[in-house]
Amino acid sequence: MTVGRRGPSARGGGPLGGEGRWALLFLAPTIIGLAILSAGPILATLAISLTKWDLLRAPQFVGVDNFVNLASDDRFLKALRNTAFYTVVSVPLGMVIALFLALALNQTIRGIAWIRTAYFLPVVTSTIAIALVWQWIYSPDAGLLNQFLGVFGIAPRTWLSDPTLAMPSIVAMSVWQGLGTDVIIFLAGLQSIPAELLDAASVDGAGRWARFRHIVLPLLTPSIFFTGILSLIDSFQVFDQIFVLSRPRPSEATITVVYFIYENGFKFFKMGYATAASWVLFLIVVFFTAIYFRSQNRWVHYQ
Amino acid sequence: MSGSAVVSSRRSPWPARTRRIRRGLLIGLLIGGGFLMMVPFLWMVTTSLKTRAEVFAVSPTLLPANPRWENYADMWNALPFAAFFVNSVKIAVLNTVGQLISCSMAAYAFAALRFPFRGPLFAVLLVTLIIPFQVVLVPNFILYRLLPHPFSTSGNWIGTQEPLWVGAFLGAAFGTFLLRQFFLTIPRELGDAARVDGANPWQIYRLIYLPLARPALATLAIFTFMWSWNDFINPIIYLRDIPSFTLTAGLSLFQGQYVGRWPLLMAGALVSVIPMIALFIVAQRHFVRGIALTGIKG
Repeated sequence: MTVGRRGPSARGGGPLGGEGRWALLFLAPTIIGLAILSAGPILATLAISLTKWDLLRAPQFVGVDNFVNLASDDRFLKALRNTAFYTVVSVPLGMVIALFLALALNQTIRGIAWIRTAYFLPVVTSTIAIALVWQWIYSPDAGLLNQFLGVFGIAPRTWLSDPTLAMPSIVAMSVWQGLGTDVIIFLAGLQSIPAELLDAASVDGAGRWARFRHIVLPLLTPSIFFTGILSLIDSFQVFDQIFVLSRPRPSEATITVVYFIYENGFKFFKMGYATAASWVLFLIVVFFTAIYFRSQNRWVHYQ
Repeated sequence: MSGSAVVSSRRSPWPARTRRIRRGLLIGLLIGGGFLMMVPFLWMVTTSLKTRAEVFAVSPTLLPANPRWENYADMWNALPFAAFFVNSVKIAVLNTVGQLISCSMAAYAFAALRFPFRGPLFAVLLVTLIIPFQVVLVPNFILYRLLPHPFSTSGNWIGTQEPLWVGAFLGAAFGTFLLRQFFLTIPRELGDAARVDGANPWQIYRLIYLPLARPALATLAIFTFMWSWNDFINPIIYLRDIPSFTLTAGLSLFQGQYVGRWPLLMAGALVSVIPMIALFIVAQRHFVRGIALTGIKG
């Protein structure tokens, strides 16, 4: 437990003397991890993406061929389009529903904790298990959804294999699963709004809508910003539910970018090609994150 | 309806009776919504106790006529689920321990020590936080394929469970960020006073910072355990032999082999989620605090 007993006299001196040396000790695992598992490999992918490499033979330098091929690979373009659709629909939809739920759940009544638990539960359960349940719900024969709609005389549908319904069905499941995270963040934001502020506004004659519009909503923008960034990054990475719901292999209607990377890297062992695709994903994430961060001056109010 | 929810407990121009009705309506809607959220879980439970005939009956029932508990035994024996369970627990525990150690050490350095390149290094760590981890999937796979492994049949790390947890001992951006935020709330004077008394940074970290950060450490432990337990893409990339599979990988294999056998599949899904549900109910406070801590005080 006592690593190197050094008194206060050892402080100072040199750029790495005293605290610097201690910092190196504390940071050694993190620095090694950054070098070989995260920051380092990101740089390595730049080189790998310029090669043709099946891991059996030596990598072959092909220049920007992988990127050129991606641009005309129909499956990749479909993957981009599907990921964009997934993001554009699931992120705002999830956030709006979660906002309403958080406002409603922000109550002090007995048993509210149990009601909240019902909304949080899908967040902690694995997407694999959850998607398996939804595959059964969406099942064309005897699935719950078709049975339910049958009560109203609506004809059964093949939710997961119909190209127009497949992606929206996957989005619906993902929104259901992700709601809880956003609700937690919104609830924390709501609870940090000072009650006096709302009381003062009531005294001044502000109605419910006015208080929501001019006090609650502005003070909630940091939480909205935060859930936005989380959902945005998350939605670009959608994979598990695609894997389960689009068995045995996603059609062009449901393939996403991460599935494309997985398929090329670990099914076809096209390491260079998969890496090039992951670079495109990376640049897209960075681009949208940057735009999103830039936009915050315009609409996020920090207290 | 939404706006009213926040402020319904405060002074209101509405008469008391109207307010009570509105409140009752709201609670009714919340309970109804909560039930709707639970439907997939309830459907999973009831299906897992049905016979195949009941599942595909012409006029399906909500509840099984006679709960068929044997489904669970059949499921458990269809694949080595006991081994999957042990593997998931083992890998999740190792990830949790690894992250608690490596992240708390790094977080302490970033929060309490002064050293050159502190800002840039922290910035690099933050950047890795927003990078989709799939970007490093391929290079990490290649790295583990190059590393020699004394006990694996392939001679390298592919096909072993090590790639699924060793990295946790080498730091993680989220955990470091979360703990640093917490460490920053600990007054520097505490450490300074200990230092005057002759304590070195390691002792300050062990005897002052770690004990004070217990709530944040608990939060990180729970999140790490959950991520590891629910991780899917890494197990399917690295694991080769069925007995070494985790529950998520095993469940996916099960799905492929037992197509349409919904009662068994639902039993498997339920068994795999129960530990997380139990953990969540016990530690709900920490889940909520963790998200609020990293989210709001960023």
